Amino acid sequence: MSNFFTRPFGHERIVTKEDIVKTKQSNKNKADNMGQTLKRIWQFMRGERKRLYFIISLVIVTSLLSIVGPFLVGRIVDYYFIPRAFDGLFRILIILLATYVLLSLTTFIQAYLMVGLSQRTIYNLRHRLFEHMQELPVTFYDKRQHGELMSRMTNDIETLSQTMNSSFIQFTTSIVTLIGTFSVMLYLSPLLTFLTAMIIPLLIISVRFITNRTGPLYKIRQRRTGELNGYIEEIVSGQEIVKVFSQEDRAVENFEVRAKNLREVTFWANLYSGFIPKVMNMLNNISFTIVAGAGGILALTTNGLVTVGTIVVFAEYARQFTRPLADLSNQLNQVLSAIAGAERVFQILDTEAESDDGSITNKTIQGHIEFNNVTFSYSKTQQHPTIKNLSFEVKSGESVALIGATGAGKTTVMQLLARFYETDQGEIRVDGENIKDYSRSAIRSQTAFVLQDPYLFEATIRENIRYGRLTATDDEVVEAAKTANAHDFIMTLEQGYDTVLDLDEGFISQGQKQLISIARALITDPAILLLDEATSSIDTITELKIQESLERLMKGRTSIIIAHRLNTIKAVDRIFVLDQGEMLESGTEDELLQLQGKYYDMVNQ
Amino acid sequence: MLTVYRYAMKYKWMIVIALIFMLIELVVELIQPLFIQQVIDNGIMVNNVDNVIMYLLIMFGVSVVAFLAGIFNTYFTSHLTNMFGYDLRLAIFTRVQHFTLATLSKFSTSSLITRMTQDVLQTEMLLFMSLRILFRAPLLVIGSLVMSFIVNPTLGLYLSMLTPVLAIFLFFTARKGAEIFLRVQHWLDRINRFIQQNLEAVRLIKANDSGQYETGKFSKVAAKLRDDTIFALRLMESILPVLLIIMNGSLLLVLWVASDLLQANEVAVGEIVAVINYALRMQGGFSMFAFLIIASSRAKASSDRISEILHSPISKEDKNTYEPSQQAGTVKFDNVSFKYPNTGRYVLKNISFEIYDNENFVIMGGTGSGKSSLISLIPKMYEATDGTVTVNGKNVSDWPTADLRQTIGYVPQRAILFTGSIYDNLLWGNLHAEEEDVFMSSEKAQIHDNIMNFDDTYDTPVGQMGVTLSGGQKQRLSIARALVRKPSILILDDSTSALDVRTENNLWGALEGENVTRIVITQKISTAEQADRVLLLDDGEISALGSHEELIRTSALYREIYESQQKGGHIDE
Repeated sequence: MSNFFTRPFGHERIVTKEDIVKTKQSNKNKADNMGQTLKRIWQFMRGERKRLYFIISLVIVTSLLSIVGPFLVGRIVDYYFIPRAFDGLFRILIILLATYVLLSLTTFIQAYLMVGLSQRTIYNLRHRLFEHMQELPVTFYDKRQHGELMSRMTNDIETLSQTMNSSFIQFTTSIVTLIGTFSVMLYLSPLLTFLTAMIIPLLIISVRFITNRTGPLYKIRQRRTGELNGYIEEIVSGQEIVKVFSQEDRAVENFEVRAKNLREVTFWANLYSGFIPKVMNMLNNISFTIVAGAGGILALTTNGLVTVGTIVVFAEYARQFTRPLADLSNQLNQVLSAIAGAERVFQILDTEAESDDGSITNKTIQGHIEFNNVTFSYSKTQQHPTIKNLSFEVKSGESVALIGATGAGKTTVMQLLARFYETDQGEIRVDGENIKDYSRSAIRSQTAFVLQDPYLFEATIRENIRYGRLTATDDEVVEAAKTANAHDFIMTLEQGYDTVLDLDEGFISQGQKQLISIARALITDPAILLLDEATSSIDTITELKIQESLERLMKGRTSIIIAHRLNTIKAVDRIFVLDQGEMLESGTEDELLQLQGKYYDMVNQ
Repeated sequence: MLTVYRYAMKYKWMIVIALIFMLIELVVELIQPLFIQQVIDNGIMVNNVDNVIMYLLIMFGVSVVAFLAGIFNTYFTSHLTNMFGYDLRLAIFTRVQHFTLATLSKFSTSSLITRMTQDVLQTEMLLFMSLRILFRAPLLVIGSLVMSFIVNPTLGLYLSMLTPVLAIFLFFTARKGAEIFLRVQHWLDRINRFIQQNLEAVRLIKANDSGQYETGKFSKVAAKLRDDTIFALRLMESILPVLLIIMNGSLLLVLWVASDLLQANEVAVGEIVAVINYALRMQGGFSMFAFLIIASSRAKASSDRISEILHSPISKEDKNTYEPSQQAGTVKFDNVSFKYPNTGRYVLKNISFEIYDNENFVIMGGTGSGKSSLISLIPKMYEATDGTVTVNGKNVSDWPTADLRQTIGYVPQRAILFTGSIYDNLLWGNLHAEEEDVFMSSEKAQIHDNIMNFDDTYDTPVGQMGVTLSGGQKQRLSIARALVRKPSILILDDSTSALDVRTENNLWGALEGENVTRIVITQKISTAEQADRVLLLDDGEISALGSHEELIRTSALYREIYESQQKGGHIDE
């Protein structure tokens, strides 16, 4: 039997004694945190506060009306039915009817308003979070699972949404009812009220006992939900690999581990939170017993201080007194878990956005680029920096090819230019100004970057091409597609430019995706063009055909390209050979061939 | 809903136990008023303090029993609802793992996630709540009605008159509610999908400086979610006021009729008080109903979405009987045509050719000519629309899928790695691989030295949460992963595009001695030159097949490709 309580159904304890002690110790801290979180939610309701005050007054009216109703019924029985005096009964019935109608009306209006208010607040929070996501640095995304982030933006916000709807009104109702019944009880019999209130310390102790456990459990639960989400997202996205290696069983096994973790913590969280109504029921019965017992004894011994009538009424009020307490503690659970979720959301909001304090916001960029002793590492623990003391200059309108072995830092150079990352040392200058002095948007809006892995949105092909410049006309889209040699294959699709690209569908090949993403770059009119392996999956004949377009595109703009094929490389003005993040050779093709260095080796092997 | 709650049947005994505990609790609660009556009638009224104390002790004892029953009920319900949720989740995930790619493409990743988390949670919640209050609500309502009839049939009749109206109202709200919640879940999916796309495209969005544009689009979807949620919740919130007005109306009716009956001396005041009391209890019961209805509307919507997955077709489940063969594999296409499911255009037309064991077979062709589609038919990622594909002399549709794929090492065009260490990722090729084999494979894939240069060597984390690897490193890792499998057929889908010529030559050199048939998609003539034979695809059809020298002589298209690369050649990294 003792075994059952220590390891019920084989569920290992998750929250240990130390955790509970720690929770107790950090309670003050937590309260501060909770206060902070609540304050921030409050801030999101800025535009809604007047409405909120109105709802609060409605709630007070509703609570009072629901006390008045039974009171009137009592009066009807006492003053009309028992003495059998029916004069004026009709009037009081009409008043009762009015009370009931009003009660339903206020109940509806308060809920109606609250739903709107909470959903608008949630919308604002979602919107703000998404907006913030757009401002977060790339480094933030590098080390996080997509599914885990998605969990915060959906599961956690959803929990908050459900709580805001129900809990707020119930909370206020409970408090109003509590105060109301307490006053009436005090009026009826201070002594019995005092006796009834004796259960309050018991209540506080038991609720504390439970919340000390549920608090940390909710946090763990939300975290584990996030982990499970992350795992599902990865495995489903990479399903092709799972299938082709027949590793379905392994995927299921790994899933099982995470789902079990979640199951364990949910068991304990549900268990403890499920205790609350039971404990409340028990306390309810105790208070009932106290009232009946003490009241009965008082009635017998003091002769008239307490009447039977008082006991009956009081027993009913004692119930009414504990019910809002029970509701409050029930709500507490929900609120705690919602706050745990809100904290995770605010964690993202608190992550610093990409610094964007550059003052140059609308300068037309000429495209003169300078790297001065730039050093950069992706992580602090890295032994060799990815870019080491790199210095070079690209004149406005010049085109440059970056070549070098895998891991030489070619892509990194481009990412630094697009300000996805900040340099550790040294500086990058564009048109003579430090890149940090530009607003990010000033640089990015005048730069076209064709990425190594072409990403297309789940939208029509037309929309995907237009993504390069949102104001482009349909004709311009077709023009760009023609130049990128994508037009022909697009026309073979049943819906042509209106074909919706489904990310999980295989009918668009990797090479075709690259063609579309080149068209997307062509449609922008950038000062700086960055092409990272833009044609790697495109066959060489097609590549030759778009070569000309690319050359035309490069003309008059500063272009930096990473490519494999000699003919692409030959089209540029200068070639930079990178090796382990350093500049090995640089110059025109002829110069490098004469040098008979690394480039010469690469060409002639 | 049946499909989903069938999973709870496994725990039927626990459900019974939980319900018994709930009934004990309920009974105790119902007899409690009897004892207070005793306290008054046999104690206070007759001045008997002993009786008062005795009944109080009994009351206390009984409430302890109720408390214990409640606690046990909590233990059992918490446990079994959790097990139910877990089983359901596992069933969904396992099912998804056995989807064909065609079925999988019908669901978005994000929608699968919501179904496995949010939707399961909703069905779990309903079960949890049901086991705690399900019986209470109807018992309270029916019990109160019956009691009021016993006390006074006329008053009971008037009390119950409006109940059918209420029942009908609740029924229709529940139905409508399920419908709207389904829509809400749909919008949640969309939001999730939107976020997922944004996470994947974060660099593109930043490079295009289109964050604001994305936020604008997001707002629209989020606003739709907001509006539908508001509608759904307002509908649900209307239950309580309607319930109150109907129940209070009945009460008013009872009072009205009671006053008449009282005047006619047909009823006692005590009876009226009792009926009023029962009316109030009924109200409590109906409020619980309202609660259950909201939960079950949501759960209905969710379980529909879950059933959709559990009813989707999966690929045939076969026993794994395969004995790894030392023989290099063969592949034969016989008049194969193929179009992707739900599309009209054939991407492959009447393809026939054969690949011999140990052959070094290269597939070339223009962008979109059907190369990747062609090889996806070999491991049965998709099934041919017409014609037959044969591997090792056996029609692939007769091969158990797992066995077929066991013989194949496949390196996709996009190198996908999972969160975990490098070593873990390589084990995807073969879970039971020895350490030596793993090292050997990565040496052959020309990535071992790079790995050893990382601070944590093979323990270096990669994938979504791992270190930033270059494109070439990812490609070589996924080649190594395929080699760990010791396949008899190795398929490389343009997976060496980011490798420099020297590394690539080393790779081919390392594979030279292996007993494996190689099928390689490439753009590079230099790779084709080393192949035994080259298959040239053009717009889904075979344009030419033969050795490099033969094709140079016979195929104009091949010559064109050759020349396009002769002008510059290939430099690569």
